[in-house]
Amino acid sequence: MIEPNLDLLVPAYVREFEPYIPSMPDPELQKLYGCDHLYRLNNNENPLGPPPGAQEVIRRFPSPRGAVYPSGDSYYLRREIAVCHAIDPDQVLVGNGANEVIAFVIKAFCGQGDNIITADKTFAVYEWVAVFSGIEARVIPLNEERFDDQAMLKNIDDATKVIFLCNPNNPTGTYWSRDTLKAFLDEVGGRQIVVVDEAYFEFVEADDFPDGMSLLKDYPNLIVFRTFSKMYGIAGLRIGYLAGDLKVVDMIRRTCVVYSVNGIAQEAALACLRDETGHIRRTRDLVRESKSFLSAEMAALGLPVIVGEGNYLIVKLPGSDTLAYRKLMHEGIMIRPMTGFRYPNHIRVTLARMEAMEAFVAALKKILA
Amino acid sequence: MSQDHERIVSLQLTARMSFLPVATHCVETVAKVFGLGREESLKLSLASEEIFSYLCSHVCRGEILDIRCSNGLSYVRVEFRFPVSALDMGALNIAASVSCENEDDMAEVGLAIASRTIDRLNIIAERQNRICLAIEKDKDYPPALETSIAPVDLTGPLMVEMPDTEGAKRYVTILAQCSPDPLRPPFFSYPGKVADMVAAGECQVVTVVDAKGECAGGVLFRFWTARIVEMFGPHVFDQSREGEIAAMLLDTCIARTARTKAIGLVNLTGIPPSVQSQFELLGLLHHYPHDGETVHRQAFYRLLHEDQGCPVFSDAILKEYLRQEYSRLFLAREIREVRDQGEMKAGASIFSAEVRREGSVAILRPLWPGADLDDNVKRHLRFIKEEGINNIFFYLDLGVSWHASLMTVLITNHFRAALIIPFAGQADFLIFQYDILI
Repeated sequence: MIEPNLDLLVPAYVREFEPYIPSMPDPELQKLYGCDHLYRLNNNENPLGPPPGAQEVIRRFPSPRGAVYPSGDSYYLRREIAVCHAIDPDQVLVGNGANEVIAFVIKAFCGQGDNIITADKTFAVYEWVAVFSGIEARVIPLNEERFDDQAMLKNIDDATKVIFLCNPNNPTGTYWSRDTLKAFLDEVGGRQIVVVDEAYFEFVEADDFPDGMSLLKDYPNLIVFRTFSKMYGIAGLRIGYLAGDLKVVDMIRRTCVVYSVNGIAQEAALACLRDETGHIRRTRDLVRESKSFLSAEMAALGLPVIVGEGNYLIVKLPGSDTLAYRKLMHEGIMIRPMTGFRYPNHIRVTLARMEAMEAFVAALKKILA
Repeated sequence: MSQDHERIVSLQLTARMSFLPVATHCVETVAKVFGLGREESLKLSLASEEIFSYLCSHVCRGEILDIRCSNGLSYVRVEFRFPVSALDMGALNIAASVSCENEDDMAEVGLAIASRTIDRLNIIAERQNRICLAIEKDKDYPPALETSIAPVDLTGPLMVEMPDTEGAKRYVTILAQCSPDPLRPPFFSYPGKVADMVAAGECQVVTVVDAKGECAGGVLFRFWTARIVEMFGPHVFDQSREGEIAAMLLDTCIARTARTKAIGLVNLTGIPPSVQSQFELLGLLHHYPHDGETVHRQAFYRLLHEDQGCPVFSDAILKEYLRQEYSRLFLAREIREVRDQGEMKAGASIFSAEVRREGSVAILRPLWPGADLDDNVKRHLRFIKEEGINNIFFYLDLGVSWHASLMTVLITNHFRAALIIPFAGQADFLIFQYDILI
């Protein structure tokens, strides 16, 4: 049997890329770490799960439908999203999670020699997709934990095609106000595509936070990402979307793989948008309570926190975050070590139910003792 | 032609003695073009002659042999690549013809002879059943200036920088003068060499400078294995601001490795007290110099990502040691015991021997299993000791089941399990150190 010569077949930028290895399933982790329970505080999931209507969709999904292809372009869902944001359905592209739409955008706009701009301490997937696609990723240091608009503008050159902003930023929770975002878009002046990832939009309570969707009509180079994985609690179904100008989205559609979004996800997402039971309010109440509790507990322990919008906060530890991860796993608590986000010795904790927050605090006190 | 292409010359020929002059002339000529001096080029050529002759006679006669010379800027590397053949692969052991008995005269083979004229020799098992035998010869560099540099007197705020050539040389010069250390690799004595290593992409240097550009400290780091970065430092030149400088250097080092292929950061030569809490203590290594007292040094580590856990293989003799170490390090490992249940073992084992004469270090790694593990260990020990090398290590990959069958052999031959380096191989490396005082 002749093995393929991978050194010749695979581009260097792929060979050199270290694949992200996701966590093992919970039962395997519990076996490995010898814990009889596991609080998942690592992925910013919603502990309340999906809204009741979406839960009903999932429960009642007819099994024969498993044999039938879903709508290839999420037809009904796009119409519903369009209604929510007062835009045209063709301005919307739905993907298998927001991660997939990141790839759509980079494939659509970037070629050999081009670059993207983002921050050094933000959601890593913009940088990853660029790097393993052979595109340079310029990562600009945060300034006081927030995206540095002036430094990003300075780094734009003729080869810059896309600028990725995360608003509010994961993991710092900082955000650009409406004024800052508009000023930045004015400076860019349509020469580059500006992506604003609003994965945590529904958690934000600050008055001056911008709704990117409302800016689409004024800025045709703006693309907004949203997801159903966070506030709407259907991360397991993998569904997210982007919205932008008709002509821009028409270009992105060329790089989009149809039928990548399954039928149950489309229907559950529809139910999420139609929720009238106060799911968002209940979740915000929970996050607010947990944020207040955890901030006070960390202050009492003398541990600095970085906290802003979103259902997470960052805690600075006196030692290694990756060691803390392992110690906490033995206590049945899974958090996100932040070294990979370029925040060594910091951990990000999902704001969840009080039972989980209290368990986390108790475990943290134990490992720091 | 790209810069990479300008640094590589390749030659493909049949492994027959009639081609020997082609191979040696090629190596010598290329070595000179790549900047080696006349004497170094000749030594590299002589080593290549020994290796080529040996491969033609004992290992891969008549097979296609790829010879690749590359310019590492601070050294020239020659690689011989050939397919694993049905011939006696045991001949690839550097100590292949050394008796494991205490005989007076050791029959010597080409690999042993070749290893004496060059700086490093290594054998690597590659994809597609190919073997790479690599030799390296360093360029000559002048040592760091002996003229004393005035003590650092820092002014104002500090900032991190990626130094240019002169900045990197300045850092190495101050380090060589201010804090000599026998455990630091010899390249730290040659500022020009470090500058070339940085230029070649072999390592990165980060420094901290004050408002006047005065170097307050630095750190050098490089990939040690495919997924582990080795860090030297942080080195701090003003102890009154040790915590601040060390933290700046460490944070930058981590930021520059956190989203690379690296999964862990290892330090085998010591780190400042102020940042030790950010690391985990792996264990203790001893350095046996030719003259003077044994130096003991702690090895530190930090993972850069979540521990995904993995199975590891162990002989019963070290199962408890591993259990205790993994418990101490909070690493999730499933220890699978490997037992000899009478299954057939045939043929000669192969160990790769990485010989670094500059630091009196030899590192052995198992490449191929066989029925002669104990004899092979003894042969290698005898050869390495005869070469006057004091620091002998054996690296086992705990993710490779048959490596576990070497554990008892190593312990009975006076190696001790020194420390575990997580994820340094398919799974973790278990590093054994030979007790030279036996």
